[in-house]
Amino acid sequence: MARLVLKFEGAVIKEVPLGARPVSIGRAPDNEIPIDNLAVSNYHARIYVEAGRMVVEDLGSLNGTFLNDIRVERATLKDGDAILIGKHHIVVDQMRDAALLVDAGRKAHAPQVNETMVLDTRERREMLEQAAAAGERSQLAPERVRVPTLTVLRGRTDQKEYLLTGKLTVIGSSKMATVRLKGWFAPSVAAQINKHEDGYYLGRGDRVPKVNGVEIVSSVKLGEGDVIDVGRVRLSFLYRE
Amino acid sequence: MRLDVGSRTDLGRVRKNNEDSFRIEPALNLFVLSDGMGGEAHGEVASAIAVETVIARCQEMEKTPAAVSIPRAHPEVSPRTNLLANAITLANQKVFETAAADPENRGMGATIVAAWIDGQRLSIAHVGDSRAYLLRAGSLDQLTADHSLVAEQVRQGILTPQEAESSELQSVLTRALGSREDVEVDADEQVLLEKDIIVLCCDGLTRMVTDPEIASTLLMSESAQAAADRLVDLANENGGEDNVTVIVVRAIQEVKGIFTRFKLWKRNSGRRSGV
Repeated sequence: MARLVLKFEGAVIKEVPLGARPVSIGRAPDNEIPIDNLAVSNYHARIYVEAGRMVVEDLGSLNGTFLNDIRVERATLKDGDAILIGKHHIVVDQMRDAALLVDAGRKAHAPQVNETMVLDTRERREMLEQAAAAGERSQLAPERVRVPTLTVLRGRTDQKEYLLTGKLTVIGSSKMATVRLKGWFAPSVAAQINKHEDGYYLGRGDRVPKVNGVEIVSSVKLGEGDVIDVGRVRLSFLYRE
Repeated sequence: MRLDVGSRTDLGRVRKNNEDSFRIEPALNLFVLSDGMGGEAHGEVASAIAVETVIARCQEMEKTPAAVSIPRAHPEVSPRTNLLANAITLANQKVFETAAADPENRGMGATIVAAWIDGQRLSIAHVGDSRAYLLRAGSLDQLTADHSLVAEQVRQGILTPQEAESSELQSVLTRALGSREDVEVDADEQVLLEKDIIVLCCDGLTRMVTDPEIASTLLMSESAQAAADRLVDLANENGGEDNVTVIVVRAIQEVKGIFTRFKLWKRNSGRRSGV
């Protein structure tokens, strides 16, 4: 997977991963890469992966899309390529783990809005439909899916391994529990794991679980290989492909 | 587990009419709050339709569970949470149809947040920027992700949370009831524990009162009603720029045996005498 690095006058403003879904660039705020500059069209260009190759496509913009200083309608991209849109550069970066940088000075310039309003333009809807269609096309070359699992290292449970498929995973003797604890004194809800947008979080139940030997204070994000102790049960959190 | 519930809605200090609606359905342990929008186009009509539709739909499903077959739009959550999300989908249709049928109501819409407690399972579903919070072991967590432009920009790393708070675009929603024929509903669930406190509120609270203020108010209040009252007062003291509506639900330790009863009695009598 590659990253798209948005730069303005040499400074990194934003990084966006390029995955199965196309990345759109434009002045409208619902673009994956919004650029607040009058030289940029509302929906200026998009970058996507097709048959394993990265492609940049101009969406009929007024001021054009430039690849390494040459105006292009549609072109294949390689590592290190620089796309110029207005005064912003987008650099193609293949698999480099740079931290996400945020330009603190950036802020949308827009008229004062007092009344609550809903952003729901026709273009946005069309964009979503396009993205969905492209998503279906890209399913021909599916990315590897990583499924989080809990493996039982110690203690009495109903299975030896559990796949975390839901948003809520309960560890306990309760009927709601996915990881069912056995034994007379097993707590009904010993601990719970909640799926958030960015990962899986372990939280307390009637017991306070330990992660890697340390009692958790509030809910904590689980990382690959973390060892969880709840009561007499020890589990390890791993992603499987 | 026993629930202690409190609620309050208020006009605020600036607005001339209250467009918020909320309802508590004790028989179902169902709590629904909606913030209407559309100003002259009757935001309060939209929020009332939304709340009543969700309550009616959930009551209907509770009475005749077998008769109501619903598509599971959210395979990652329980059937009960799917029911709640489905009720909100229906509320969207009702608001959309009402707005389309009557020119006077054109342009109206609403946010919604709903919580349904079934035993130890807490189902949460929402659309828009009304929020659900959970206070557990002293720390306050926002259970819902706002469907607003600035919140999405924060999630994408374009804005910092501080920039979002001072943005002029805070009122721009990316999802709401009534603006389209269908809507994507967010649904999530949690295990409810004793001493948990849940708050449902509209942006009239969260724009005036910070999360730490909400947390300390909940921790200091003796009852759910006292907490709801204090939160609304705080929003008004800080400016009261919008209608404020708050529902507070506290999960109270069940009095099981004689020993627990005695412990609780001792603690409460101690408090009453000011020890």
